[in-house]
Amino acid sequence: MEAARKDIQFLLNDRLIVIDFQEHPGLKPTTTVLNFLRTLPGFKGVKEGCAEGDCGACTVVVAEPDHGKLVYRTLDSCLVFLPQIHGKQLITVEHLSQGDQLHPVQQAMVDHNGSQCGYCTPGVVMSLFGLFKNTVNPDRDTIHDALTGNLCRCTGYRPIAGAAVSSCHGDTADKFSEREAETLRTLGEINRDKHMIELRGSSQLYLKPLTLADALECRKSFPEAVLVSGSTDVALRQTKKHEHLPEIIDLGGIEELTSLAESESEFYIGSGVTLEKLRLFSEKRLPPFYKMLSVFGSLQIRNLATLGGNAASASPIGDTLPLLFAYRASVELISVSGTRRIGIGEFITGYRSTALSTHELIAGFILPKPSAGTLISCYKVSKRKNLDISTVSACFRLERKDGIIDDVILAYGGMAASTARAFKTESFLKGKPWSQPRVEEAMQVLAGEFTPLSDARANAAYRKAVACNLLLKFFTETENSEL
Amino acid sequence: MTTGSLKHDSAISHVTGRSVYVNDMEVSSVQLTGRVVYSSSAHAVIQSVDYAEALRLPGVAAILCAADIPGLNQMGPVIHDEPCLAENEVTFIGQAILLIAAEDEAVAIRAESLIRITYKELPAVLTLRQAIDRGDLISPERYISRGDADRALSAAPHVLSGELETGAQEHWYLETQSALAVPGEGQEMLVYASSQNPAETQAIVAEVLGIPKNQVDVEVKRMGGAFGGKETQANHVAAWAALLAHATHRPVKIHLFRDDDQKITGKRHRFLSGYSIGFDNEGRILAYKVELNSDAGSSTDLSRAILERAMFHAENAYFIPDIHITGRAFKTNLPSNTAFRGFGGPQGMAVIENALDRVARFLGKDAALIRKLNFYGIDENNETPYGKIVDQNRLQVIFERLWESSMYETRRTEADAFNRSNRYKKRGLAMTPVKFGISFTTAFLNQAGALVNIYKDGTVQVNHGGTEMGQGLYAKMQGVAAAELGISPDRIRVAATSTSKVPNTSATAASSGSDLNGMAVKNAIEVLKARLKKVALDEFQKRGFENLAACDIEFSDNKVMARMIPDAVIPFGQLVNAAYLAQVSLSATGFYKTPGIHFDRETGKGNPFYYYAFGMAVSEVETDVLTGEYRLIRTDILHDVGDSLNEEIDIGQIEGAFIQGVGWVTTEEIKWDTQGRLLTHSPDTYKIPTINELPEVFNVNLLHDFPNQGTIRKSKAVGEPPFMLAFSVWLAIKDSISATDNHATEPDFSLPATAEVVLMSIEKVKSKK
Repeated sequence: MEAARKDIQFLLNDRLIVIDFQEHPGLKPTTTVLNFLRTLPGFKGVKEGCAEGDCGACTVVVAEPDHGKLVYRTLDSCLVFLPQIHGKQLITVEHLSQGDQLHPVQQAMVDHNGSQCGYCTPGVVMSLFGLFKNTVNPDRDTIHDALTGNLCRCTGYRPIAGAAVSSCHGDTADKFSEREAETLRTLGEINRDKHMIELRGSSQLYLKPLTLADALECRKSFPEAVLVSGSTDVALRQTKKHEHLPEIIDLGGIEELTSLAESESEFYIGSGVTLEKLRLFSEKRLPPFYKMLSVFGSLQIRNLATLGGNAASASPIGDTLPLLFAYRASVELISVSGTRRIGIGEFITGYRSTALSTHELIAGFILPKPSAGTLISCYKVSKRKNLDISTVSACFRLERKDGIIDDVILAYGGMAASTARAFKTESFLKGKPWSQPRVEEAMQVLAGEFTPLSDARANAAYRKAVACNLLLKFFTETENSEL
Repeated sequence: MTTGSLKHDSAISHVTGRSVYVNDMEVSSVQLTGRVVYSSSAHAVIQSVDYAEALRLPGVAAILCAADIPGLNQMGPVIHDEPCLAENEVTFIGQAILLIAAEDEAVAIRAESLIRITYKELPAVLTLRQAIDRGDLISPERYISRGDADRALSAAPHVLSGELETGAQEHWYLETQSALAVPGEGQEMLVYASSQNPAETQAIVAEVLGIPKNQVDVEVKRMGGAFGGKETQANHVAAWAALLAHATHRPVKIHLFRDDDQKITGKRHRFLSGYSIGFDNEGRILAYKVELNSDAGSSTDLSRAILERAMFHAENAYFIPDIHITGRAFKTNLPSNTAFRGFGGPQGMAVIENALDRVARFLGKDAALIRKLNFYGIDENNETPYGKIVDQNRLQVIFERLWESSMYETRRTEADAFNRSNRYKKRGLAMTPVKFGISFTTAFLNQAGALVNIYKDGTVQVNHGGTEMGQGLYAKMQGVAAAELGISPDRIRVAATSTSKVPNTSATAASSGSDLNGMAVKNAIEVLKARLKKVALDEFQKRGFENLAACDIEFSDNKVMARMIPDAVIPFGQLVNAAYLAQVSLSATGFYKTPGIHFDRETGKGNPFYYYAFGMAVSEVETDVLTGEYRLIRTDILHDVGDSLNEEIDIGQIEGAFIQGVGWVTTEEIKWDTQGRLLTHSPDTYKIPTINELPEVFNVNLLHDFPNQGTIRKSKAVGEPPFMLAFSVWLAIKDSISATDNHATEPDFSLPATAEVVLMSIEKVKSKK
């Protein structure tokens, strides 16, 4: 780990920024991009609306090289630590227009009366800019998905959706495309250096290894360090709880952890694969993942959050976990001494606890391909359809032989201290026909199987009723399906 | 561009990120960050406060407690029952106890962590039921009544009675409460506020500092949303910032964190209302008796006026011969609830709308037709319970047009067919009206001022007492000024609202911003035009046009001209310059008061409103019977704004208010725990609508060709009334629940109708079978 890099570099719009944290006492490695921008003169466009990634007023776009091109992603800057944008271009609302010439998405917002109080507007504009760079003639779902993470309390959203329709119609050329080659060159130079980044400042040690080997060394040397990948969860410990994070290992720059592969018998999903990348990958291949991830957080969140992070946080309401259970996923764990694979059920050991040892990292997830005729379906019930935490989530797997249930997995989120299978109900169902009377009996068993909590999201009685009804819903959706 | 289609005056600065909000302001390199330390107990005696260690922390400039307040320790806007900083007792979680000024946010947070406050707990009242049982009223019970409701109820062929809970609502303005106080020479204090009521902010700052009002200037450039949440409670943060600025002699800015804002500030009042409704076989309402009980929170704030407006809207759009309305506001140990779009109107209306829905179900009739049957009449049955005649009634015309355009009948048939063939999905449909009274019901508040300055280059600066919170008031005022002066809008700038330009103004509230300020601006311009006309006559006379009178002079197309005389034309700028050289004043104030507003609180009679705004909506939902989740399939709205001052802005207000209303009636659920701690204190748990809550089909139209009489350019107020159109969604959801047993059972229902409320109601309907 010698010859580590001691600073970070990125483009702020077209300007190269170099930050050596020891020379900037006002900044620490975990200073968020939002707070960094707001300390600069002339960058007050970005707004803090909630400091937890729920409102999108702080949305920025980050461009990064990918296969020789720039890829533009919207992020909530309140959730991003500065080193996470090392080697990337940070684009802010101030940079979209050229003199008096508004960017097409800005002009469309003006034309459609897309702003009222204006406070959410810079974030909305950046989401529209991301949409503009990534799509041509987006459909309603795509537009809504791109804007789900931007709360507006004034307009009722229709004019914003209208601005999206009229600005994202085809020609994605803009001032950024004109400068693409130059931007790629500058970023390429920064990214050529694969030395680990070691940052110290404000009694904080922030390690950003850029290879898996370095990451495993870091993990061994600093077993107490907090691991971040997308930081969408960890950032809240700082922004909301004002917690000091003394040691951090940032896994977000390790290419080896981002593989996404399909073989004849299984899928392999690297722990560093972002949930948005996984969502797009899963549309045809893993439809339940597509369905679940389409109501997971917002695009800004999914562009940061990773499957490894969601699984490792082992939250009882982690939305990917019931799916991993239903897919009989294995978790590949890696350390300097080697790798091991354990089932997801073993991996989750309790409320926010896992079998990950202090030397290990999650390398990835192996999902065996279900045999033909296997039914897997997932559900998320929340107070609000999108950008909400599950009240109850579930993923069910059903295999039948000659009309009789051969195997079944009923995995629930939100019903216990961790993701939990309804084992009693599963064994009740095994060997029985998949019929409404049997399902209704199974619902009775299920009703006695969990004792969920009442909290801000819902009361226990509702959680129970929904958990049971979801089984019926699964039945009604599958009763006519072929084996 | 015509003056009626002006874009929001800040549109370009909004989209480029150049609009400046209070939190974006840095006025000095020695500016400090303020932080509020608040109570963690709902009701307690403060036993000890120890901040000695925090004060020693480097970077801490000051820590203030109640004893450090130089003036009055009060910030109650109407009644002085709200201390600025708690002294011996705290009465809600979130009540300010100490103020910190520090070099930056990190230091302030660190300092707060070093402060120790101990409490001796007292019993706390945390639910409305508890408060009603205790009978701790914030002010005496109020009544509005006509006829004999009790007798009419006992004589009515049918009577239904019940109770309805309507929940609180968090404003969730995107910009949390903010203020920047800048001390000047001597006693001077300049406050950049995010306040709907700069004059009141000025008054409260002056009072807490113990200085005359003329020493305090309050400026409001814009707010990042307000919705009533910054009508009184923006005063708080301004007073706190001013106290710290006064103590440190340095500028101090406070910008609340989201969670702190949600915990500290008041919300829409939750209500628990009881009612009895008497009706005949046709569904004609004969009698209505309603008790509106509101949760005022820990102090009075605007609770009386809000309760009063709930009472004024208890019958909504319906003529009810015998009616008795009781209003009570109760004290609880929660933050003082406050103004929120609709200002009690929604809470009053919800009860009658739900009751009418019951009547229809009871009689097996379509609720829309029951509503129509009971609308206020044009020539008869047109007097409200408080004695005002509903004139310029648009209910019938809106109903007819919307019934057609929404294809209500066809869709009702289609929904019934859908429900017959789907067991686990049910559709619901509802059409609901709004009749909303426009004016401050506190009569003297219906006044406004303006100051219009014309500069030598012929450009104009408009100042008025209204504040811009996104509603497009400035653009409307720019449009009014341009139309009245006959010059292009780009020659007019509407300046930031300032107490030193226009004094003693009322809050920008009650949807009255354009009505009041538009008239005041017009008034100032009329003064200026009269002066300019004289100058023009002189100029024309010099050119040989004799015998012209002031009434011949017209202002249009950036020119001033004599009617019918093509050559008698002076460019506006040239005339202005001539006026200056002729030593004519180019600055004038304007004033307006709404005529004829009065109300007697003792008798419950009077004329509390200048006019009514009307609107209707039809909404259709599809509910998942197994989870209680629903989606909004379609909404059609027809709304009355008179002759619109700006159609695009008005449509924006209607859509925005409607979606905000949809939030209130669906997902925006506020919960406290048994200690009075707010559980839903961030967007993580408090769910306002996202873009996905837009109706899949959304047809919003203005009622054209019905000008309003006696208002600025025949327009109507628009800010609040459309909020209540969301009842169409709420009752469509109820209709879908009721469809699960073919409308045989009256479902349990409350507001918000979360998926949880819906599923539990469906399960109950099921179990009754």
